[in-house]
Amino acid sequence: MKTLTLATSALALSFGTAAMAGGHASKGAVLETYSDIAEAKYSDSLITAERLQAAVDALVSSPSAEALEAAKSAWLAARVPYQQSEVFRFGNAIVDDWEGKVNAWPLDEGLIDYVDASYGGPTDENEAAVLNVIANASFTLSGETVDASAITPALLEDTLQEADGVEANVATGYHAIEFLLWGQDLNGHGAGAGSRPWTDYATGDACTGGNCDRRGEYLKAATDLLISDLEWIVAQWAEGGDARATLLADEDAGIAAILTGMGSLSYGETAGERMRLGVMLNDPEEEHSCFADNTHNDHFYNGVGIQSVYLGSYTRVDGSVVDGPSLSALVAETDAALDAEMQAKLSAAVMALGRIKTAAESGFTYDMMLERGNAAGEALIMGGVNGLIDQTRSIERVIAALGADGIEIEGSDSLDNPEAVFE
Amino acid sequence: MRLRLAAAFVLLATPVAANPPDIAAIVETHILPGYTALASDADALARAAAADCAPGNAELAVAYHEAFDAWVRVSHLRFGPSEADDRAFALAFWPDPRGSTPKALAALIKDQDAAVADPAAFSEVSVAARGFYALEFLLFDPQFAGGAAPGDTCALIKAVSIDIAANARSILEEWQGGYGALMSAPGNETYRTPNEAARQLFTSLATGLEFTAETRLGRPMGTFERPRPNRAEARRSGRSLRHVTLSLEATGELANLISGGDAAVAQAFDQALGRAAALDDPVFAGVADPQGRFRVEALKQRIDAIRQLLAEEIGPDLGIAAGFNALDGD
Repeated sequence: MKTLTLATSALALSFGTAAMAGGHASKGAVLETYSDIAEAKYSDSLITAERLQAAVDALVSSPSAEALEAAKSAWLAARVPYQQSEVFRFGNAIVDDWEGKVNAWPLDEGLIDYVDASYGGPTDENEAAVLNVIANASFTLSGETVDASAITPALLEDTLQEADGVEANVATGYHAIEFLLWGQDLNGHGAGAGSRPWTDYATGDACTGGNCDRRGEYLKAATDLLISDLEWIVAQWAEGGDARATLLADEDAGIAAILTGMGSLSYGETAGERMRLGVMLNDPEEEHSCFADNTHNDHFYNGVGIQSVYLGSYTRVDGSVVDGPSLSALVAETDAALDAEMQAKLSAAVMALGRIKTAAESGFTYDMMLERGNAAGEALIMGGVNGLIDQTRSIERVIAALGADGIEIEGSDSLDNPEAVFE
Repeated sequence: MRLRLAAAFVLLATPVAANPPDIAAIVETHILPGYTALASDADALARAAAADCAPGNAELAVAYHEAFDAWVRVSHLRFGPSEADDRAFALAFWPDPRGSTPKALAALIKDQDAAVADPAAFSEVSVAARGFYALEFLLFDPQFAGGAAPGDTCALIKAVSIDIAANARSILEEWQGGYGALMSAPGNETYRTPNEAARQLFTSLATGLEFTAETRLGRPMGTFERPRPNRAEARRSGRSLRHVTLSLEATGELANLISGGDAAVAQAFDQALGRAAALDDPVFAGVADPQGRFRVEALKQRIDAIRQLLAEEIGPDLGIAAGFNALDGD
């Protein structure tokens, strides 16, 4: 009976895909679908971030253990649509230039707040590694005195973010908020995330960690900034927005941008920088969400996001579906076998990333997987890495196939305008 | 700021190339000799360390420089056997923005880690504590080379050298034992067509040049306001500029083979190598002042010009475009 159910739903799935892939998909229509999905994913990111903002406001105005947990839950929910949107990053310069504000990582968290002694002090790379803005209303940065008596979105964005030209000085975005909600994960390769006490936001004598009012001020400023940054990107993808207009301006360049985003997120970013490096270094701080221990979801939803732009379908946080003529259908018109291969590889990668998620959610956490000599953990993570690398090869084949079909040579910005390289 | 040459894909019409690259010849004359030299020099390094692992041993230093040279000459060929089992990462973990290498080495010493005496166990430790860049810390950084525990440093130097030799040997064996044939005779699951093999080589070429321009030169350059001379590659053993030169020579050889001896390509590499030779700044210390920085930037511009020539003209003429590479992330 169980087998039958599985077989039936598999059939339903493939029919669903076939229906979506059916009919002629013009490049313009594929780009419209892609833009609609981008708009929907960023809108969902904004909606869930507004829920986070409400929870943060509640935590700061009346601190309690329950309020902190509610804010954490809201943060975790907000990551689901955002991670699916990362496939828009590479390939769309507007997104790539913006995303560091909201998702920069990894961070030297000592810039923001107190840290454990094991964290160390300033480093060759980063003199501000233990600046601790929350504890210091005034400090010196790159030789200049900074007045941080009021912690505002402007202070975070204009002064602290990438302070001293160091990328690890991350003052804004999801991961700064994550640190303020969870605190450092001091469990090493053991189970357990960061365990910041709710009293870090308490008033009066109940306050732990010092400067609770400034900590609340920082958390609110960072969350408000996340909202305004997300509002900005939603507008870029709306009808008439710059990101949508740029993409639609040249159909061949637009299709190339979709594939660039899929391949770069698959290979260099997720498989390489975020997953394989952690395994090779056996370092739990290489986790993408190292404070909240949410790394398994980060990777999984990256994979789902890549698949979703290829299939031209996205399920929103309210359950509604945004779909339309897909890249998959466009490829199938040129080479049906290659489309089938691409779909199979994307599914296999999502499955492999799903196995990491399943294991992590049942107690075998991502930082345990990273421990030296942990063969099962390494196999799980490398399964995801290999799935992503494997699908990248097929993405390259898709690029070659669509190119071979007579698409004109398209210059990139830096090729057409060498000066742009030095801007 | 970041050059988007590699990141921005182009869809291009594939003309029938008049002279497609001779993949088998590239494997025979470029790849196999490079990895043979690496295996042999790495073996000599392990023997020198076994004979005398004191950081001050002059013969050991010579063996280190020769083996490191051999690595840099193949460092652009990061696919297949060098990617399998993370061998290239284990040979060369750099850049290291979070200082993982000195931390990992110090931890091995502090914990008196048993893996140091056991090559099989050592092959499981963090890649940050393995390979040429870790060895450089052990041989040339005062924290280790002149440290309070010379015996521990000595044992680690031996362990790292043995591990380097084993990895170099494995890469060569895999190339000789089948991977070379897969690449030379496409029509298999790894390389379905000659174009896929050519694309892999073209990607290596583009990625090698991107790494030299953006990482080897770009990291120490930092920004005009905030140059970062301490980020220069292998500066402790004075090798930063040498890596740029060796890598340009090696990628120049590959570019020559891929392009069928294209004169413009040869000229572009000659110009870049000429700039490198005239630089006279072995560890890019000059980036700290505007004059010196300008000279390093001029070298970088020459390399960017090669990249542009390959992406705009040579690739399209041959009907190949670079694929995705590990630098595509951030």
